[in-house]
This record gives sequence, structure tokens and C-alpha cells, in this order.
Amino acid sequence: MKIAIVAPVFNEEKFIPNFVNSISTLGYPAYIIDDGSVDDTPKILSNLRVKGTKVRIFKHNVNLGKGAAMKTGAEAAFSDGFDAVVFMDADGQHDINDFPKFVKKLNEGYEVVFGSRNMGMGVPLIRYVGNKLASLMISFLFGRYFSDILCGYRAITKKAYKEIKWESAGYAVETEMVIRTAKCKLMHCEVPVSTLYLDEFKGVSLIDAVGIFFDVLRWRIKL
Amino acid sequence: MIVGLQISALIFSLVMIYFALIHYKKGVLNGVEMFFWLLIWVFSIFAVVFPDLLKIFARTFLFARLFDMMVFGGFFLVILLATKSYITTKKLEKKLEDLVRKQSFQYAKKKQKK
Repeated sequence: MKIAIVAPVFNEEKFIPNFVNSISTLGYPAYIIDDGSVDDTPKILSNLRVKGTKVRIFKHNVNLGKGAAMKTGAEAAFSDGFDAVVFMDADGQHDINDFPKFVKKLNEGYEVVFGSRNMGMGVPLIRYVGNKLASLMISFLFGRYFSDILCGYRAITKKAYKEIKWESAGYAVETEMVIRTAKCKLMHCEVPVSTLYLDEFKGVSLIDAVGIFFDVLRWRIKL
Repeated sequence: MIVGLQISALIFSLVMIYFALIHYKKGVLNGVEMFFWLLIWVFSIFAVVFPDLLKIFARTFLFARLFDMMVFGGFFLVILLATKSYITTKKLEKKLEDLVRKQSFQYAKKKQKK
């Protein structure tokens, strides 16, 4: 199975050089999507020279959101002939040592593989509570329990992508993927991943969470 | 009190006609849209200056007071415009996303050639 890494990037000047170096050690091609960064990220990316691993850089001229960036990466990778992609956040919070777990599950025939963080270890309390409430809500509304809905470390096959092609441009993408996976009854599983919180001010904010809550209700009616 | 309210509503309607004209001259509104907005605001002016003319409508639609009918009409119009605006924004977001994605593909292609 041909697998590529897809990493949406937004204002990650601090983390992007290390991130690219670390994924290059995996030996898989990478698609990095700069989602309209306004810091030095575009400059760093355009000067990037990676030995061995093929890294393709895509640039959104305006910030569209994480969901749109993931879609750009997935469409580019699948049109290049890859069978599956693994999404990773470029802020260094995902451990590359967990990557083989996704590859293994994809090779076992799973169509969608979700990373599940160990919530007891260093996850801020507000995020922990929010995440668990979201899991319970999805379980109640859609009849499937996912232990970590908001983890961005996940993998998807080309076939599954065609079925669950998301419409969310922002942070609601993770929740939408989970819901569509449940709705389409795709073969999925979860793998434990470790997470480092390096930037507390990034990720889903309270305002995003309220928006996602209403999106979930909309999907309950629509899907 | 009523006269004060009427004067305020009249000034508001005239200002809105002025805005519509400016946007028409700038090419933001086309002829049909301009006519539509003009019709709305001229009707508003008539309704404000001659409120008795509308009383017959209020009675026909079983509104106890003319003011109730005006409030209902206002809400109706606002909800209609908000819905239209929401749908238009959604369509524009989708178009923008597609355009930016297309450009990013071209950027990657160009970078690959170098």
C-alpha cells in the first residue's frame, strides 16, 4: 500500500524545521500544506531542502482552515496515486514513533485509523473534559463511541476519502470525519498515540467548540 | 411622538435610497436590484407618511394594530435577507476554497519543475 503523510501548516515557524526533519526519517513522501501562514513559515518551507524523502509543498494564498488544508493534501496525494494518507499536525505534538501503528492498521485492511491520545498524560483539563463530552455526545447521537474525536493524528484510505469527503473547512473537520465514518459504516479502529502540547494557544478554542456543537446537530439532521 | 418616529423613519428611508443609488453607480447593484430596493424604500416612505393606507391590510390579515403588522413585516424581511445572505456567503466560501486549492496545485507544480 502506497502511503503518504499530509500535514496542514499554519504559522509554525518555530516547529516546522524540526517537524520536516523528523518526518523525513520515516521515509514516506510528505505533502505539506501551508494554509496562508503570515509568519516566516512560507520562507522556511520554500528554502527547505530534504534529502531522501520527497516533500511537496502546497500553498494556500489565504487561510482557509485546517479542514480545507487537509483536503488539499489528501486530493493531491490521491491524485498522485497514493492509496492512503496519514494526517499529522506540524506543531510537533504528534510522535513519529506512532506512525508505524497507522501503517500496520492500514495494511490490515482498516479504511480509517484514528489516533487516540492518552488523556491522563499532560492533556489540559479543559481539553480533557471537552473531548470526553464530545465523545459522549457523538455516541448518543450516532451510536458509535470514539475515545478521542479531536485527535488530528489519523489515517484514511483513498476509498474511504471518496465516501466521507468532508465539507468542514475549519477545526470541525475531525468531528465530521468521525461522524461520516460512523454513518458510512467504514471499517475503522483506534490506535493509542502520545501527544506533546507545545503550543497552548493553538487548536480548538471555546468559540470553535460552540460552532462544532451546532455543526454536530446539523449533521445529525442532514446525514 | 408618532411624528418624531415618522420623521426618523423617513430620514432612514431616504438615506437608504441614497446608499442604493451610490451602490448602483459603483456597479455593485444592477438595474433590477436597484429597482427592487427603490420600490422597498419608496413603499416604506408611503407607509410612514400615510400610515392609514396600510390599516386596511392590517385588518385583512387580522393584525390588531398597524404597528404589529409593521413589526411582523420587518422580521419577515430581516429573516429573508439573513437567509439569502447566509446562502450567498456559503457559496462564496466554497468558490474561494476551490480557487485557493487550484492555485496551490499550480504553485506545487511550478515548484516541482524548478
